[in-house]
Amino acid sequence: MNCAECRDDLVAYLEGLLDAETSRQCRAHLENCAACRAELAALTALQRRLAERGRVASEASLVQPVMRRVHQAQALSERETIMSRLFRRWGFGLGAVAGAAVIVIGILLVSSPKAQATAAQVMANGAKAVAQLTSIHLRGQLRTAPADNFGYINADNDFVTIELWKQFEPELKWRVEKPGRFAVMDGESTLLYIKKAKLGYRFPMASPAAFDTGWLQRIANLSKTITNELENAIERKWGLSLTEERGADGRMKAVVTVKAKSGLPDNDYLKNSFLNTADTRRVYRFDEQSELLESVQIYLERPAGEVLIFDLNQIDYNQPIDSALWKPELPADVTWHHEPQVLPDNAKYQAMTAEQAARAFFEACGRKDWTEVAKFTPDLTPRLKKYLGGLQLVSLGKPFSSKAQNTNLQCFVPYEIRLHPTDIYIRLSNSNTAKRFVITGQYDSDMKPDEELKWTKEPPVLPNNEVYARMTPVEVVKAFFEASRNLDSEEVAKFIPESEAAKFKKQASDAKAAGMDLRNLIPDTEVGDAFWSKEHSAWLVKVRMSHVKKWNLALRRDNPAGRWQFDGGL
Amino acid sequence: MELSDQEYVERCRDGSPDEFRRLVDRYQKPLFAYLAGRLENRSQAEEAAQESFVRAFQSLKKLRKPESFYSWLLGIAGRVLKEQFRSQARRERDREIAETLLPEAADPAPDYLIEEAIAVLPETHRQVILLRYYEGLSCQEVATRLNMPLGTVTKTLSRAYGLLRQELQARERAERTVNQVQEP
Repeated sequence: MNCAECRDDLVAYLEGLLDAETSRQCRAHLENCAACRAELAALTALQRRLAERGRVASEASLVQPVMRRVHQAQALSERETIMSRLFRRWGFGLGAVAGAAVIVIGILLVSSPKAQATAAQVMANGAKAVAQLTSIHLRGQLRTAPADNFGYINADNDFVTIELWKQFEPELKWRVEKPGRFAVMDGESTLLYIKKAKLGYRFPMASPAAFDTGWLQRIANLSKTITNELENAIERKWGLSLTEERGADGRMKAVVTVKAKSGLPDNDYLKNSFLNTADTRRVYRFDEQSELLESVQIYLERPAGEVLIFDLNQIDYNQPIDSALWKPELPADVTWHHEPQVLPDNAKYQAMTAEQAARAFFEACGRKDWTEVAKFTPDLTPRLKKYLGGLQLVSLGKPFSSKAQNTNLQCFVPYEIRLHPTDIYIRLSNSNTAKRFVITGQYDSDMKPDEELKWTKEPPVLPNNEVYARMTPVEVVKAFFEASRNLDSEEVAKFIPESEAAKFKKQASDAKAAGMDLRNLIPDTEVGDAFWSKEHSAWLVKVRMSHVKKWNLALRRDNPAGRWQFDGGL
Repeated sequence: MELSDQEYVERCRDGSPDEFRRLVDRYQKPLFAYLAGRLENRSQAEEAAQESFVRAFQSLKKLRKPESFYSWLLGIAGRVLKEQFRSQARRERDREIAETLLPEAADPAPDYLIEEAIAVLPETHRQVILLRYYEGLSCQEVATRLNMPLGTVTKTLSRAYGLLRQELQARERAERTVNQVQEP
């Protein structure tokens, strides 16, 4: 080995990354070469200095305190902006006009088409018209899962109503609501309440936009939004265009279209999953007379074409807002979220990789060791305990993340778990004209009614009816699960009402379209004995079900304790 | 995959202020070390680091070269430091102290120069050094995190060491000259 080769390998040598032979050669060269030894000494000295600097810095934990201050500063500047605009409009009307003129000139310089300049003019006027907002109420339809967070969108979901109330004066307050959850900021604290889980998050600060409501909040800050949108469209050369149409109220509307790009690469899995990671076309409709914005439509760009994902069709300006909205009543048995605290043995958990944390979490659920589970989620609801207790971890996959996230703070771990078996009881009846057993309902392990299957019309007499008429209740239940597992909706329809069979068929085809195999979601079943229940005057068949679930566990560690915390995906 | 400083800065400016946490996460440690090297007290350093970040956030719109976020941040931190020295001096009602505070509080071996030198590195080199030493990752972990082959990580480290040594020599020489001038 000569000097040049040795110096090339020096870092790898110091890091212990060379194979045994090269490492030996490197050592041998160093023993005989004073110059390379000096280089090695200089390098080691620098490494030591760097390591010492790292040690000095190891306790720094500034993300939370800085972000808290950033949010506070923002809430303040938001109010100041509104105030200063008010002042400018009333006191120095000229200022606002001059601002709009600068924007328009900017566009003329950047790109000359007249239509763009006029579109910009419409937006600039629209921004001016709402500069003195004291409150706003927005109502629209968003394609999302009713129970998911406020940022989640999915073009394959149905529309769900989403609403925002925002008061700017005398004090900033807001509330965002969709069917499964709502978030409220009452001027002092910020609350998120998840209805089904009965889980509440409360932070003792006035956050301007928490819980992924930011995009809607931004829309609500109309004057700023419109101005920003305009500036972005110019700076990033997004397409900007203007058309005119007559509205349902008979008045003329100016329609501005903006084509926005998210900046994420096409192969990023998060692209188009959330509003802030999506490529979108936004259509703003302004009333030409009042210059007020009346509606916004957001279309998601997908390879197959665009889909309307958000339709904001009601905007109320400066209407009084019912103060009860800021103080929602919550049930007595709500579980409150706690920020994870630094534990006595915190270092052990902090050192875990995401995969190790996921494993430890699932294994603790398997042992029903809730004290240990709580180290990965401070929000253990009774519902979660019931669901996860006694599970068996089958396997974990390689953690993954997106360009839109910080891998160090947020990631997903693919998992496969077998949930602990539960017993259910299936109710059957053959008092029908076809004289064959069909399913009429289901009870949980405590014999409490779980699901009723309503037969609005008699089960039909099948062409080979006698085959089915000869089947015992146990055989019928077995045949039903067999057909479900085969996704044989025609066969499934012989045991359950038509409407239910149609639902099953739709689920199977939706899952297929989304690239999922519904069979993975159908539980393994062990069909037990049938017995006559006097209480129900019906045949019941006991079935032990064990679900295998394959999905991705969301973990994040941007918390004061720096531990990986469960953040969804169960 | 990690985004570049420039991309995070742009996202913050585009109305995603929450993205600022990525920049805080990325530079909190070198910034803290830098300040801790010039202030004697840990809590003072922490306060100064917070203040620097908040000011950076508030003037993000004015940052002309988003790719130089870190060296810009150090500049802000430098101003915060001066203010702290000044207000401390005022508190102690002794103008003379203000003159002497800065050199006195400075580390005898001024290792905060390291954080200044790091600011001069090209972005990838800087990230590799920060992850390896300030986040304490192994070379293998750095490779995974930055999605680059292990060999590239060691090559980048090697190049970064070279650049750091050059930069440190120049800065230390300058520092010595300044001290000589101040000492007579």
